[in-house]
Amino acid sequence: MSTPSQLEDLIAKTSLGDRRAFSALYDATSAKLFGVALRILKDRAGAEDVLQETYMKIWRYAGRYAANGTSPMTWMITIARNTAIDRLRRWRATETVDETADPLPDRGPTPEQTAVARSEAARITSCLAELEDDRAQAVRWAYLDGFSYADISTRLDKPLNTIRTWLRRSLISLRECMSR
Amino acid sequence: MTDLPPPEEDWSAVAAEYVLRLLPQEEEAEFEAAMAADPALRDEVAGWMRHFEGLNTGFAETTPRPAVKGALFTRIFGEEAPRKVSFWDRVGLWRGISVAALVLAAVMTTLWLLPAEGPAPGPGYVSEIAAEDGSLRLFAVYDPVRGGLQITRISGAAPEGRVLELWAIAGDAAPVSLGVLPEDQHALLTLPESYHSAAGLLFAITDEPPGGAPGGAPTGEIRATGEVHDL
Repeated sequence: MSTPSQLEDLIAKTSLGDRRAFSALYDATSAKLFGVALRILKDRAGAEDVLQETYMKIWRYAGRYAANGTSPMTWMITIARNTAIDRLRRWRATETVDETADPLPDRGPTPEQTAVARSEAARITSCLAELEDDRAQAVRWAYLDGFSYADISTRLDKPLNTIRTWLRRSLISLRECMSR
Repeated sequence: MTDLPPPEEDWSAVAAEYVLRLLPQEEEAEFEAAMAADPALRDEVAGWMRHFEGLNTGFAETTPRPAVKGALFTRIFGEEAPRKVSFWDRVGLWRGISVAALVLAAVMTTLWLLPAEGPAPGPGYVSEIAAEDGSLRLFAVYDPVRGGLQITRISGAAPEGRVLELWAIAGDAAPVSLGVLPEDQHALLTLPESYHSAAGLLFAITDEPPGGAPGGAPTGEIRATGEVHDL
């Protein structure tokens, strides 16, 4: 796995139209971004398409990265995640999706993760643990599986407005915990 | 307006909902509009992106099929295009051109010093449009603050009885004329909005009969070409 500064360097060169840097950026990050698309869409062909669309955006908007202020991997994962969720919403608008498909189980941290990622993961994990189980689960569903309020409401069999009220409160508690 | 909450602390929760993509489409659009006008809200969003960063370990790495990369590169660069010399391969050449450095320095100073009006403009771009043999070389600079495409001719001229015409080629689209280049060293051409982004854009110069290509499509020989790079 490349370091953040190596990725930043590749993004900077990509923004100048350097195709070799873009190719190296793809090689270093595509497995992670494909994992994002696959987890949200749960469909290999759709995820491959989203992966391409994601890198087209990265190629096009690499110059905007510096102004963003987040880590390069988080920036790219955000693009992949948003592209996948947009795709999911389009699918739902046009066809019936299997609403009963089970979200993937959460996986524990993998060995190759950096110490930094481990500590960040530990932090949000411990803060989520302070929430009630179903609320922590709802946050994970939203982030990792692209669940909407309607999805969460169906899954937990509670009214949508109730879900929204308690999830908002949970997010405020989460922020307080994260900034401790 | 829908039920966006007024108290400031609740904006943070909305920012979190925005990052999680939980907001209904209409509220998402409202929030994006509010965010465009409010840097504090953008910071709030960036803060939530960092808070959730730790959850990214939940996305298991999965190597995509190699064919996906091939398809992607074909989509972006086209398969017929021979591998072009990259920007970095040409850095040595750029260093040798002091005029280029001067043009770039002038443009970048302009971009930094002039206050933006209204919404911040996107990045500008620069293109060195040059003949293989160096017989014609000029710089085209798009500065979003000043608008238009500024042309600085370094060397070369049209053949006797012909004029030079500049073409913009966006992706796979047919070339579109940006106009006949005046003889002057400096010129400012009108640049349609569709060519305000450097992505996938190329410039080319052909020689044409006086008045320019009659049918709106290039007829003469290609004298120079240039890739476009964001500033």
